[in-house]
Amino acid sequence: MQLESSAQRPIIGTGASELGGSIKAGSGKKFDRKNRLLIYNRFFKIACIASAVFVCLVLFSILFFMFRTGVLTFQDVSPMTFFFSTDWSPENESYGAFVFIFGTFALTLLTLVISVPLSVIIAVFLAEVAPKWLRNILRPVLDLLVGIPSVVYGFLGLTILIPLLRDLTGTNMGDGILAAAIVLTIMVLPTISRISDDAISVVPRKYRDASYALGATRFQTIFKVIVPAARSGIMYAVILGMARAIGETMAVVMVIGNTPQLADALFKPTSVLTSNIVMQIANVPFDSTWNNALYMMGFLLLIISLLMIVLVRMFQRKGAQQ
Amino acid sequence: MNMATTNAPNAPKNAFRSEKNLNHVKNRFFTVFVWGISAIIVLFILALLFLILEKGLPSLSWGFIMGLPSEMEEGGGIGPALFNSFYMLVISLLISIPLGMAAGIYLAEFAPNNKLIGFVRVCVEGLASVPSIIFGLFGIALFVEMLGIGLTIIGGAVSLAFLNLPVMTRVTEEAIRAVPKELKQASFALGATHLQTIRRALIPTAISGIVTGICLVAGRAFGESAVIILTAGVSTSGEMWDFNLFSPGATLAVHLWYVQSEAIVPDAVSISDKAAAVLVFVILMFNIVFRIPLWIKDRKNR
Amino acid sequence: MKLFKSLSVAAMAIALVTSSVSVAGASSSLSGKIVINGSSALLPLTLQAASEFKKLNPKVKISASAAGSVTGPQSVRKGIADIGACDWDASMDVPGFKKFDGQVANKVAIIPFAAVVNKNVGVNDLSTKQLQDIFSGKVTNWKDVGGSDADIILVNRAFGSGTRVNFQMKALQGADFLSKGSNYKEVKSSGDMKTAIETTPNAIGYIDLVYVTSNMKAMQINGVAPTEANVVNGTYKVWAYGNFMTKGQPTGAVKAFIEYIQSTKFQNGSLKKLKFIPLSAIK
Repeated sequence: MQLESSAQRPIIGTGASELGGSIKAGSGKKFDRKNRLLIYNRFFKIACIASAVFVCLVLFSILFFMFRTGVLTFQDVSPMTFFFSTDWSPENESYGAFVFIFGTFALTLLTLVISVPLSVIIAVFLAEVAPKWLRNILRPVLDLLVGIPSVVYGFLGLTILIPLLRDLTGTNMGDGILAAAIVLTIMVLPTISRISDDAISVVPRKYRDASYALGATRFQTIFKVIVPAARSGIMYAVILGMARAIGETMAVVMVIGNTPQLADALFKPTSVLTSNIVMQIANVPFDSTWNNALYMMGFLLLIISLLMIVLVRMFQRKGAQQ
Repeated sequence: MNMATTNAPNAPKNAFRSEKNLNHVKNRFFTVFVWGISAIIVLFILALLFLILEKGLPSLSWGFIMGLPSEMEEGGGIGPALFNSFYMLVISLLISIPLGMAAGIYLAEFAPNNKLIGFVRVCVEGLASVPSIIFGLFGIALFVEMLGIGLTIIGGAVSLAFLNLPVMTRVTEEAIRAVPKELKQASFALGATHLQTIRRALIPTAISGIVTGICLVAGRAFGESAVIILTAGVSTSGEMWDFNLFSPGATLAVHLWYVQSEAIVPDAVSISDKAAAVLVFVILMFNIVFRIPLWIKDRKNR
Repeated sequence: MKLFKSLSVAAMAIALVTSSVSVAGASSSLSGKIVINGSSALLPLTLQAASEFKKLNPKVKISASAAGSVTGPQSVRKGIADIGACDWDASMDVPGFKKFDGQVANKVAIIPFAAVVNKNVGVNDLSTKQLQDIFSGKVTNWKDVGGSDADIILVNRAFGSGTRVNFQMKALQGADFLSKGSNYKEVKSSGDMKTAIETTPNAIGYIDLVYVTSNMKAMQINGVAPTEANVVNGTYKVWAYGNFMTKGQPTGAVKAFIEYIQSTKFQNGSLKKLKFIPLSAIK
């Protein structure tokens, strides 16, 4: 045994030196391969960095473009008027965007009030209550709902929901933020409930076991233990849903009534930032104050959605600290 | 009944029990409530899908799916719009998948954990939350006003790619992060380089998450209308298999909108019903076709 | 050396062929690319004409798209379109829009408009004055114009719409629109207008005559019904020319295309089928 190993050692040694020698001698292939791998690695890393930089670049060029055009608004309109005046009538050259800003917030809030409880219930159902087979069917169905084009939702809203609202409430028109909020609820429901569902599903099993062991019922376990534990994930889902609600265009424009007046009632035709942009962008002269004001509204939308992301990150950090 | 009589003389226990009973009632009520609400919503969703599909699917024909649209006579098809949908989807995915995956890999694997990278992450998430109409406005500013190429397929596809890029990045990053550490370490221990580890160990393991992401992105791109109306227009070149990148590029979702809002053909309603059914059906197919291999893989692994 | 020579010969040959092709392209008047942008109301007409024209002149490429009327002359001014389809004559000032200098309006069709109401409205005829009062919000109840006691729901197109410009000029004779109120809404397109009028009781709006369906009622204005015959005999005044704006007089393929649309064959054929009125009908 000993003899064998001692006899082998020099052979290994010579083998290694031979290998090294062959590399040094530059017989070719092996050295090249190593080098090539290194270069590939380097190149791949650079490509990856470039892509990440590119993503940032896209965001900044969008910010830049929107700001560059949008800020021209203030050559002709004072910021005070733009942000706080409720008078938007391009035909008289008055550009007060307060109605749209207010409308956007009111609509988003109303959408969340309707959609969050429903979505959380659906999420709880999917993650905790439903039998496994039903869960396996429902999750893809909800995912599918995300993909239905907003045009379809808008058209169904216009032809089915609005007449229904009119009949139920006896109002004259039915257009307004309530109709828009209901359509948006249907659109954000899958987003919020699926992400909350994931958040609830990853709550460790031991929490549940501990809770049941203490004699808690399922109801208590879910609302006192699991939902609080998944809070940051649910919050993340809500904010993503909110971002979608704020940015939705084609469905909202069909049911909101598109009138620049303050949304102080559920059934009053009004307008939001997105719907106003899409209503008018096709009809504006380039390089006009009107066009610039629309871009400024786009810039505002952008800022609002970026603020949301900062919010999301704050919640995530909070969740991590817990 | 029996239980109640045996416990009746014991007063303190009784109080406890009533509390417990209340909880049980609550629990029962809650279960019924959750089932009820969920059932209503699920029924509602199914009714919605049924509503969209039942008006359109039964009357679908190849002549409609592949046919040229008609401006004045009944029987126009959606061929060029459907073709544009796929063509634009492929171009936008060709741009967004490599870039998005590379950026995601960078964030998951190479990026140091510092303020700058934190900022890059905020950028990616920020871009993901940008409303689609903004990408449309950006597309107008870039392609129509600056480059002056007008409303084209390439303008629409690039805007669409920008829309999808951050989602792709995030999904890739998350999927690669979810790969167990041991796997990566094992690969390194075998002497693999970082690139080899990523290619041979990380991506194959994370592929299911990445595919789900692509599926999500493709569905969104397929149904997107605001961006495309603004950057690629509401009409097609009216020819089948038109690969010219500078043709106007209305997709099926846009064509649906156009038929609802401007078309004067007598059968506009039936065209829009059928087009909506085709759209939803295709998205359904995306979800199924992309997932079947993953299901099979899942089964094998089990 | 030999290889190099043959290569250079080949290169020269290729250069020659390509240059001769481009020369041929420039000399033949019926090839080239026509880019059309502008009014979405004229898009069905443009697309139909384009597909017929391309059959006759396979070498011409036509790329037609649409956004809004004002985009047409604008794209022409920026040089990104050869033809700007516009619902009004953009070489003149109209309410809300300045004229575009140096552009020529080529009339292509006559577009009649109608004031339309939901089927439940009992009124059949409105005078110009009544229309002005209704659309400016002075009259808010149908009983004031001879109908039953119900609020008038006003459906308007957004400012900038070509249909709105024409209706304001021709039917309201320049009078202003109401722009807000709890019984007022704006819609984005003719299709949305159609759906809104069909489904909203007591609603009034206006639309191209083409889109009028049996599920709504087209109003008589000053006792004249909006029919093609009344437009032709001059009694119904609410109509406008659809225009193709070009930078200066059109030339080459653009000219041929416009001439094709103005030709008797197209005007009395497809254009009539699309329910526009031929230019020759009105002298």
